[in-house]
Amino acid sequence: MSDVSVLREIDPAALIAPDAVVGPYCVVGPQVTIGPGTVLRRRVVITGHTSIGSANVFCEGCVLGSQPQDLKYAGGPTLLVIGHRNRFGRDVTAHIGTESGGYVTRIGDDNLLMDGCHVAHDCYLDDRVRLGRSVLLAGHIRVQTGAVIEDLSGLHHFVTIGRFARVGAHTPVRRDVPPFADFRSLDHDWSGPPSVRGPHEAGLRAAGLTPDEEKELRFVLRELFDDESALQTKIEQLVNMGVEGEAAALCEFCNRSLQGIYGRYRERFRGKVPPEAEKYLPPESGVDPRRPMR
Amino acid sequence: MPEISPNAIVEDTAALAGDVRVGPFSYVGPDVRIAPGCVIENNATVVGRTTLGAGTHVFPMAVVGAPPAGDAPAGECLLGEANAVREHVTIFAGTGRPTRIGNHNLIMIASQIGAGAQIGDHGIFDNCTQIGPGATIEDYVRMSGFASVGPEVGVGAYSFVAGYAGVKADAPPYAMLQGFPVRVRGVNSRNLKACGFGEDDIHALKGAFRELFNGRSSEVNRGAMKRMAGDGDLNPYVRKLVGAVAAALKKENATNE
Repeated sequence: MSDVSVLREIDPAALIAPDAVVGPYCVVGPQVTIGPGTVLRRRVVITGHTSIGSANVFCEGCVLGSQPQDLKYAGGPTLLVIGHRNRFGRDVTAHIGTESGGYVTRIGDDNLLMDGCHVAHDCYLDDRVRLGRSVLLAGHIRVQTGAVIEDLSGLHHFVTIGRFARVGAHTPVRRDVPPFADFRSLDHDWSGPPSVRGPHEAGLRAAGLTPDEEKELRFVLRELFDDESALQTKIEQLVNMGVEGEAAALCEFCNRSLQGIYGRYRERFRGKVPPEAEKYLPPESGVDPRRPMR
Repeated sequence: MPEISPNAIVEDTAALAGDVRVGPFSYVGPDVRIAPGCVIENNATVVGRTTLGAGTHVFPMAVVGAPPAGDAPAGECLLGEANAVREHVTIFAGTGRPTRIGNHNLIMIASQIGAGAQIGDHGIFDNCTQIGPGATIEDYVRMSGFASVGPEVGVGAYSFVAGYAGVKADAPPYAMLQGFPVRVRGVNSRNLKACGFGEDDIHALKGAFRELFNGRSSEVNRGAMKRMAGDGDLNPYVRKLVGAVAAALKKENATNE
């Protein structure tokens, strides 16, 4: 822990790595685990059953691990699990999970959450996700690896954002966004609903695809979303054509979204434990929910 | 004795009930009254002539009773029972009339409530909701993320304001409101069902909305409104709706003249 003697309140039961830094006016609760090299700047509040990996940075005013803003939460010891090397801007909030919604809120590795972001209960952020300023994630959302969500966008409950997709600034997202898609309104007065407007170029580069894969992916995105009618039929045709790799994964993603409710695949897990949550314990097991520190 | 952290600052003249908890680094001003069962978590600020009703929970970084911008004198802010004021929320204190918040409201992260706003009971205000100074929000209103209500504007009971919507003129009760500026999209039947309205009432309201708002338009059909206002045995909820729509039109005309 930081060797500076500053005014802060750390519960003696909290497990904090020796070289983690906890700044002034920070409050750390009893069920918290903080890994090595993690920095809490001024007045960062971490409560609840929260485990934080190594080398994360939390800027001023972050509040993590408070109870969900969900009326179904019954006060149980649910979890917030944060991986390694994430950067949290100022005033970022993240909540623990709910009992019936999967028990855990998970933030992976190497993510960037800018000022004012909110990660609600039972969300899953994979790795290398970028959230712009004041992005609001409602409950039960999955954001897959490499996705970019720009400033002031708001996501509906149970939405999935695919790998390396982009959501434009100030966009309300009510349905799943396919991988590698550029999802936004054409203009800022919402004369039309936001939809897929082509491939996300930076995402295609970041994914490190082979030229053939990239070509096929562009073709599939164009086929499916130039005109979104008869999506189901077009997916079937593409699968019968024998698309492979990322393009096949894109078809599979769109298919699952269509199987969901209102274009949201994860609606099927309403009131159930989603598959990603299974490895984070059944609560009855009596295991200490704090993850071992490495 | 209230349970006050040694790192919190509570002014001597603040009146705290016996079981109130105040967390570290919080500040409670001299004219604040806090009822039993309240929890002020860490890093929160309660200032101004503010009264917190029983069971109010103020979360970290929230500010209750903030003076409105400028060099206004300390205002008044009255919160009812069992409200949750979540992280980073700001509730401004009214200098003319007090800011009033009823009972059992959930005010989510980073919302702002303007000076002199009047809020009813059982409201749910999602993240980053903006409620303008002097706005009136009736009971059981639900607001989604980034929604805003303009200054001196009212939202009727049981209405739902969709995400990113901007309410710039008085909005009717029982309605689904969406868009910027806001448009009436229909009856908030889901909320009405949850609040125990009968099928007949919801059906009557649906018919009234179709007539009054010409389907999906925000323009009010004045002929239909006059006819319904003259109808003797109108459903009481529809009567309330027609009254609210008429009052909103009157207010709009008064400001336009």
